[in-house]
Amino acid sequence: MNLFKFFLSLIITIAMLLLMDPRSFYGLAFHEWAGLIMGLFFILHKILNWGWIKKVTIGFFRKSTGRARFNYILDILLLAGITLMILSGIAIARTIDFSWLNLGGSRMFWRVMHTSSSFITLALFGVHLGLHWNWVLQRLKIKKVKNGKEN
Amino acid sequence: MVKKISFFILSVAILVMGIIAFSKLSYWDRSVRIFSFSSAAPFEGRMGRGPGGGEFEGRERSGGRESRPIPGMRERNIPDSLRQQFGTRDGGRMGRGPFEGGIRNGEGRGRGEFPEGKKINLRNVVWFLAVFTSFTVIAIYLDKAYCLIRKRKVK
Repeated sequence: MNLFKFFLSLIITIAMLLLMDPRSFYGLAFHEWAGLIMGLFFILHKILNWGWIKKVTIGFFRKSTGRARFNYILDILLLAGITLMILSGIAIARTIDFSWLNLGGSRMFWRVMHTSSSFITLALFGVHLGLHWNWVLQRLKIKKVKNGKEN
Repeated sequence: MVKKISFFILSVAILVMGIIAFSKLSYWDRSVRIFSFSSAAPFEGRMGRGPGGGEFEGRERSGGRESRPIPGMRERNIPDSLRQQFGTRDGGRMGRGPFEGGIRNGEGRGRGEFPEGKKINLRNVVWFLAVFTSFTVIAIYLDKAYCLIRKRKVK
């Protein structure tokens, strides 16, 4: 399961980087479809870590450590960023027709929202990876798991 | 020790690359642009003119920055067809129809377009990777520092 989580995270990271520039990889159609699929992968990532989310949510003000709280807040910000990214992406989509959704707002607003949310989310992604670096090293067998406790 | 020093040098190199990429991509400006966005700005009222026609799309230049509309263009009451014509003549900076996967010559590429025959252009992705990894490195070292401080406090 951990290996699956690792590869899922790796795919999300690579996809996120490729999607940062719509011109970089097979054009806008790829950008839009891959963006939507990445959203699904992100939801899957959350489902796979549901145990941790539940645990920290229940004990946020009592049991959780400072580190867990910080990670939790960071994850909420990431979730908000991804949601805004996908929502704004849907609003400005060109190759997929989402006009039936009637999201309102000017196209310019959604474009700026798409750029800003993706830039902020990429930075948050970087921080998220940094805070889970030990977990990554454990998956790559570079670092040993201490006392059966994983990061 | 050698391992630690080499990791440190690598981290510094990543950070330097990250700082260069950060300024090259105007990362900060583009990140906070939404907070200073005003809907009453010059772009309002351009919605619903069809797919791309007459709309400012904020298309990215090769440098990665969003382009601005050509000064004076908006003031003139030009039909969309003419706007498009102007756009193509002037490096394609004005609004156009939906992405058609067209090939353009020259440097100034629009969204989703590539220089002749090229489908993958990872130049900008490398800059984004540099920013991403620098944030990761900063987080790793801050985390390490935090753990060290906590350990000392416990002792």
